[in-house]
Amino acid sequence: MISTASLKKGVNWKIFLRNYGIVISFFLLCLALSLVSDRFLTWTNILNVLRQSSINGIIAVGMTFVILTAGIDLSVGSVLALTAVVTASLLQRGLPISLVIITGLALGAVLGSVSGLLVSHLHLFPIITTLGMMTISRGLALTYTGGMPITTLPSSFDFIGAGSLGPIPIPIVVAAFIFLAGHFILTRTNLGLYIYSLGDNPVAARLSGISANKVILFVYALSGFLSALAGMILIGRLDSAAPTLGSGYEFDAIAAVVVGGTSLAGGEGNLFGTLIGALLIGVLNNGLNLLNVSALWEGVVKGLVIAFALLMYRAVK
Amino acid sequence: MKNEVLEGTIVRKEMKKMKKFVIIALSLVLVVSLVTSCAKTTPTAKKPTLGLVLSTLTNPFFVTLLDGAQEEAKTSGVTLIAMDSQNDSAKEASNIEDLISRKVDAILVNPTDADAVVPSIKKANDANIPVITIDRAANGGVVVSHIASDNVAGGKMAAEFLGKALNGKGKVVELQGIAGTSAARDRGTGFDTTMAKEFPDIQIIARQTADFDRAKGLSVFENILTAQPMIDGVFAQNDEMVLGAIQAAEAAKRTGITFVGYDAVDDAITAIKGGKLAATVQQQPAVMGKLGVETAVNALNGQTVDKFIPVPLNLVTKENTP
Amino acid sequence: MAENQVSLEMHGISKSFPGVQALKEVDLILHRGEILGLVGENGAGKSTLMNILTGILHSDTGIITLKGKPVNIENPRQAQIMGISIIHQELSVLPNLTVGQNVFLGREPRLPIHFLVDWKNLYYLAKEHFKKLNLDIDPHILLSELSVAQRQMVEVARALSFKADIVVMDEPTSTLTEMEVKNLFSLIHTLKEQGISIVFISHRLEEIFRIVDRVIVLRDGVLVGSAPISQVDPKQLVMMMVGRELKEMFPKESLPQKEKVLSVKNLKRGKDLKGVSFDLHRGEILGLAGLVGSGRTFVARAIFGADPLEEGEIWIEGKKVQIRSPQEAISYGISFLPEDRKAQGLFLKLPLSSNIAITDMKELSFLGIIIFKKLQELASSFVNKLKIRTPSIFQIVRNLSGGTQQKVVLAKWLALKPKVLILDEPTVGIDVATKAEIHALMNGLAKEGVAILMISSELPEVLGVSDRILVMHEGLISGEFLRQDATQDKIMLCATGGANNG
Repeated sequence: MISTASLKKGVNWKIFLRNYGIVISFFLLCLALSLVSDRFLTWTNILNVLRQSSINGIIAVGMTFVILTAGIDLSVGSVLALTAVVTASLLQRGLPISLVIITGLALGAVLGSVSGLLVSHLHLFPIITTLGMMTISRGLALTYTGGMPITTLPSSFDFIGAGSLGPIPIPIVVAAFIFLAGHFILTRTNLGLYIYSLGDNPVAARLSGISANKVILFVYALSGFLSALAGMILIGRLDSAAPTLGSGYEFDAIAAVVVGGTSLAGGEGNLFGTLIGALLIGVLNNGLNLLNVSALWEGVVKGLVIAFALLMYRAVK
Repeated sequence: MKNEVLEGTIVRKEMKKMKKFVIIALSLVLVVSLVTSCAKTTPTAKKPTLGLVLSTLTNPFFVTLLDGAQEEAKTSGVTLIAMDSQNDSAKEASNIEDLISRKVDAILVNPTDADAVVPSIKKANDANIPVITIDRAANGGVVVSHIASDNVAGGKMAAEFLGKALNGKGKVVELQGIAGTSAARDRGTGFDTTMAKEFPDIQIIARQTADFDRAKGLSVFENILTAQPMIDGVFAQNDEMVLGAIQAAEAAKRTGITFVGYDAVDDAITAIKGGKLAATVQQQPAVMGKLGVETAVNALNGQTVDKFIPVPLNLVTKENTP
Repeated sequence: MAENQVSLEMHGISKSFPGVQALKEVDLILHRGEILGLVGENGAGKSTLMNILTGILHSDTGIITLKGKPVNIENPRQAQIMGISIIHQELSVLPNLTVGQNVFLGREPRLPIHFLVDWKNLYYLAKEHFKKLNLDIDPHILLSELSVAQRQMVEVARALSFKADIVVMDEPTSTLTEMEVKNLFSLIHTLKEQGISIVFISHRLEEIFRIVDRVIVLRDGVLVGSAPISQVDPKQLVMMMVGRELKEMFPKESLPQKEKVLSVKNLKRGKDLKGVSFDLHRGEILGLAGLVGSGRTFVARAIFGADPLEEGEIWIEGKKVQIRSPQEAISYGISFLPEDRKAQGLFLKLPLSSNIAITDMKELSFLGIIIFKKLQELASSFVNKLKIRTPSIFQIVRNLSGGTQQKVVLAKWLALKPKVLILDEPTVGIDVATKAEIHALMNGLAKEGVAILMISSELPEVLGVSDRILVMHEGLISGEFLRQDATQDKIMLCATGGANNG
């Protein structure tokens, strides 16, 4: 019994690092950047980082849900592109904006549901299923536009990317809302508990009477829906939509989720971690630009910082 | 304007992909029906057949190039099979293999990568099919002719315009393309050397990559705007990036920046007309496509063709917008 | 005579795991060319003893002597070099390789260029090896094309290719048909003639009597008997295996009522269930005994909708019902505690409170939003009621002890207030005190009118807790006893199929 006290202390320290290691890494990075660049901690730059992180953040929320069930969604970037070009072309045809937004979001949810159905009911591997969805969505986006970007959207649509609510840009407001709503679902609802339990132990979840199929369907539909939402913000910001939008976004989203401490094995993780993960990636991109780091070094620096962040809490696991 | 042959080829590529995911494809019945309705046209002819392998068709530049090639093919009465490598050198290799096994008379290739294309070109050499490279050169194999704009000259053109527009002094930002690509390298070299030599008072305060991508151009330039309180001019190594940068400047309400792009895509022309973009270096992709087909036909007819055929460049400003 | 040459001697072997004395001073002597039967209940220490022999585990005390020389067996590889091979219950062969590749896996003959395999020689050696064993299997075909029995033969051949003097077979017949068993036995006789010693572990007494020369019995980690097989009869052997008095451990209070809560009729599913029928009454504890693989668990899973049925009817309180999923079973008031709590029962990464509440979320939420006050009250009430030892209801379940975890799973199912409670091995791997608590709890529930179906491999538990006992053998109910009529040997006889042979 002598060791109980010291053991407890050790455990607490470990748990502290495991839970907050990523936060510490994040603040270390911010501290370092504010020391080397006087521009980093300015209001405009903070808004910049938040705005740029909002798109990846929104996608990463959906990705967190999927990964918590021990799945993965590689189709987010392509679903974003397909919904974005469809949305843009509907806008150009002069349909009412609210209707277009609803249609675009619904399309995203439907595309996600298709992956969800294949994973849940046909028991296909998520990685293969969503890889298929990724290729098909991208292909459809290209075919739909003939490879050309769709430009000059109605100016009333700009608010979604460029507008602001008081001093806060709309993309940040939307992302904040999505994070809060996602956090609420995960921590306060039956569905959230079912998502965690399914990722932790699918056999036990099924034997506990949880309808696993519905839960899986939901997470993929949500991921598609949020990809569509991110796509709308992106085209609002760019004032145009290209079928090539969002390529590689799946990696940024997965990186944010994993850096945020969510286990790829499922059942473990939270959206607070994902938020920090997305911000870490955003700050990193921002910092590299502020410091005018050569393009040839960018990848190396990014990889090192992310590896360091992961090590911070993997080391104590 | 959309060409049926092209449609058919792209769609068939898509179908190949879909085969891998049969189940998924089945669930998208709508897609499949769309596809089958488009895929009926297959090129059949006894006339000389040329294969054209493009690195990507998601970039309007290459779509225009294809249009130019197709028009020339029509006038000179040859059949053109167009294929899209989707920026994937593996796909490019299989595209070229397909063309070889279809026994086309010549292959025009716009490589995804100067090195990765070499084995495919060697295969065509072995099959005695002449190869012409377009826009991007190959680092090996026997090539009848290379047809391209001179990107170094283009960078020089942009530097001269921007230097004069800023009266020889000021602070300039350069947005670079994908690191390691020859286009990014050549345009950069042309721009940088000209700036250094002819406009010593112009300072290049930031060089950052935005991967030829509009969304990245936007966020990278947002960041540069916060880092640099004074910016007089921007040269982006393609129009996509410059359009993103303009969007960022507008959102940040920063004015007085002279933007110069490269490629003269439709959006850029619109931006020039609207006074947002000062100039863009115009490659002439349609001419490039036309010259490609022309050169191939000449070579097939036994004429000698030049090893390098430069395609003239053109600086588009408000005064000479098409 | 060569037969009497001692091949292996294990002396004074003890081994303890945290909280359990798995083996206590066990002695074992194996002669050259002898077939030794090793029997005992689940958990008696047979596997531990064999794992020590084959270097998977190390004993705390004791000496192992091979052909008169004391040895120290560090790891399985070393055991193989010393000529000791084991054939495990679960086959460890690789289905996508050929028979020959499997036999010589990791020891392929090489060509002069060392990293290239001499395939021709490999298949030649395999063929020669099979010839010696009277096996007619082509070494070139893929293992996946063979039947389970043939794969077993390949496994045996692989074990012998190490030039083994001693071969341990752990339940080699559990998946074989009678015909295949015959083949295996003739192979065993061939080996015996070549002077190879065999340790044969089996639950099937009938086989023990057919094949072994001598039998030793383990119970609770202690050697309780050793005798030539000719000097024992099945009843004596069973007595040795299970004989212990545990009357006080299983206090019996409940009295079954007459009302039928659950009836199943003619449940069928492939080889697992060949037509099982029984009734379960309100307030009754029905014990379901039988060996591992007899189909006990399949009965439970079928009733709970976890596996689809091919045929059969399920009646709940006099009404015929269709149960296609656990959800439906739950809606009819059935709870099922699965045998493997970690793999099938627990959410190890989630807190205790969520683990208990998860089946009952409809009651603990409003419009899908969790009412945490209710959830915590439920969890706390079960922590008190089941005396769950935990620092807090928010403790992550992974950090709790095995017995405590089992109580958590039990609480999860009790939270539903079931009419029918199916318990599959409810006390496996649990310390004596917690075990008694769970038994008391079962009695309490039965008193309240819950109908309990308890599956257990531990006969004293079945006898002590049940009002009535069913015994299963190969997918069928092979015996039914009232509490007062049942004895361990009667049950064991039914469970091993011995009752049919007289």
